[in-house]
Amino acid sequence: MSDVKALAEERTQMLVDVLAGRIPKRVPVCPTITYEYAVEYTGNSLFEAFWHMENFEKISDVICRDFYVDLFPMNYLRFPALYKTLGARNWVQGSNGFMQHPEVVGLLEEEYDEFIESPYDCIMEKVLPRIYTNLNTDPVTRSIVLAKAFKIFNDEFGNIGAVTAKLSAKYGLANVNLFSAAPSAPFDFVADQLRGFRNIMLDIRRIPEKVEAAVKAAAPLMTKMGLPAGPTPPNTAVFIPMHMGPFMRTADFERFYYPTFKEMVENFVKAGLHVLLFVEQDMMRYLDHLNDLPENTIMWFELGDPKLAKEKVGKKHIITGFYPVTMLKTGTVEQCVDKAKEILDILAPGGRYFFNFDKAPLTFDTAKPENLKAVLEYVAQNANY
Amino acid sequence: MFNAEQLKQAVGELDEEKVLAMLREFVATNPSQEEAQQAVAACQSGMAIVGDLFEKEEYFVGDLIFAGELLTNAIEILKPVLGSASSKKIGKIVLGTVAGDLHDIGKNIFKSMAEAAGFEVFDLGIDQPPANFVNKVREVKPEIVGMSGVLTLALEAMKDTVDALKEAGLRDSIKIIIGGNPVTKEACEQIGADAFTTNAAEGVKICQGWVK
Repeated sequence: MSDVKALAEERTQMLVDVLAGRIPKRVPVCPTITYEYAVEYTGNSLFEAFWHMENFEKISDVICRDFYVDLFPMNYLRFPALYKTLGARNWVQGSNGFMQHPEVVGLLEEEYDEFIESPYDCIMEKVLPRIYTNLNTDPVTRSIVLAKAFKIFNDEFGNIGAVTAKLSAKYGLANVNLFSAAPSAPFDFVADQLRGFRNIMLDIRRIPEKVEAAVKAAAPLMTKMGLPAGPTPPNTAVFIPMHMGPFMRTADFERFYYPTFKEMVENFVKAGLHVLLFVEQDMMRYLDHLNDLPENTIMWFELGDPKLAKEKVGKKHIITGFYPVTMLKTGTVEQCVDKAKEILDILAPGGRYFFNFDKAPLTFDTAKPENLKAVLEYVAQNANY
Repeated sequence: MFNAEQLKQAVGELDEEKVLAMLREFVATNPSQEEAQQAVAACQSGMAIVGDLFEKEEYFVGDLIFAGELLTNAIEILKPVLGSASSKKIGKIVLGTVAGDLHDIGKNIFKSMAEAAGFEVFDLGIDQPPANFVNKVREVKPEIVGMSGVLTLALEAMKDTVDALKEAGLRDSIKIIIGGNPVTKEACEQIGADAFTTNAAEGVKICQGWVK
C-alpha cells in the first residue's frame, strides 16, 4: 500500500473513532479554511478568483501542501456566478469582494397564511421571485435564468467534489464528509430567508401562532434538503448552522426553535447520517437542550465556556471549535500555541473531540499564516492519546 | 396627564399594547409640549430598564430589536404634540459598519439605544470606507465614533479607519468605540480604539461615561 493511502486510512480511522465516541490515536486536525483565505494566501484577488473556479484545484493544493490538515479543509458555497445569475438579494459581495448575507425579507407578514397552507408553492411563487430578482420576470426569461443557475450550481459543486476527492487522495486526507448538505433549522430558515432577523423578532411577540405554524410548515422541506438523494454513504455528516438561538429568550427557543430542530436532527440520524451543528455565538444556556439530541451529535462551538461544554455535553456528544480564530490575527506564535494547549487540555481528555477553530479564518487579513501553521502543527504533533 | 412611572415600567416590560394605549390616551388630552417631553423622557427611562435586563441576560438581542421598534412607534404617536421643542442632546456619535461588511442589525440596535439615551447619532450605513468616517467627523465634529462589524475581516477595516482618522488629524478630538461579534480586548488595542463591546447596552453606558 502506498504511503499516502496508508496515511488516508489512518486519518479516516481517527475521525471514524471520534464520530463513534471512541478514543482515537490522536486528536484529528480538521480546520475549516475559507476559499477566500486560500485565494488571498496564494496572492490572487477575490473579485477575479470567483469567476475562475477552474483554479480551485491549484489554489486548494497550496493550502493542503502548506498547512497540516487531516481532512480537506475547504468548502465553498457562495458562488457569485450563481447568485448574480439569479439577481440575488440574499447573497451579495461586499466592497472587498466577500460574499455575505444581508438582511432580506422573502415573505411579507400578510403572506404567512399562504406559506403555512402550502409552503413549497409559496416559496416558488412569492419568495424566490422576491429574493432572486431575475426570477421576477416573464416565464421564458425566468425559465432560462433558473436553468442557467442550476447548470452553474451543478458544475461548481461537481468541480469542488472532484477536487476534494483528488487532493484528499494526493495528500492522504481522511475519507469523511462533514458537509454533505447544509439545511437550516426550520426556525432559522423562516428567520433568515423568509422574514428577516428583525421582523421575526417582532413576529414572535405579535403573531406567535403564525410563526409557530410557519416553522412547522418549513420543517419537512428542511429535512428533505439534508437527506441524501440515494443511499446514505458512510462517514457522512449533514451540516446545520444554528443561527437565531442566542438572540432569543430561552422560553421562545423552546417554543419556536427547538422542537422542529430536534426532530430534524433525529430524522437525519435515523437515515444513518452524522449531524454537525455549528453552535453559533454563545449558546451555553442551551447546553441541556443540546445534550438531549441523539448521541454523538457533533457540536462545533463558537463562543462560551469550553469547560462547561465538556462537562455538560462532552460525555455524550462530540465537541470541536472554541479556539478563538481572532487570536491568529492578534497573537504571537507562542500565544497562539499556548491557547491550543489550553483548549486541548480541556477538550481532548476522554476523546469525543477534534480540533477546529471557533470559526473559519475568513479573508487573509483575519489570520496570520505563521500562526495558523504553528497551531495546526502543534496539535498534530502533540495531541496523541 | 399620564403616570410616568407606569409608562416607564410598561416600556421596560415591552408591553406594546399597554404603552401605545397609554400614549394614545395621553395625546387625546391635547397635552402641552412640555408634558409631551416628559412622556418621551419616561419612554427613554423605560429603555434604560430594557438595557439593564439585557445586561442581566433576562432580555436578549431580539428583545432589544423589539424595544427599538416600540420606541419608534411611541415617538410616532407623540410627534403631533411634541411640536418643535426638541430634547437636549448629550453628545454626537458618528456611527457606521466598516468597509467590506454588510451587517447592520447590531449597529441599528446600538443606534436606537444611543438615541434613547439622548445622543444625536449620524448613521453612515453599511460597508463604509474610512474616508466616509473621516468626512463625517470633519463635518459634524462628534465626541464619539462608533464602528461596527460582524465578520472577522471587519477588524482590519476598523484599523484602517482609525489610521485614516489619525492621518486626518482628527483622532485626538474623539473617542472611538468598536462593537460586534469579533471584537476583543487584543483586537481593540491593535486597532487603536478606546473601547470595545459586544453588548449594545454596555456600549451606550461607555459612551455616556465619555460625555459626562
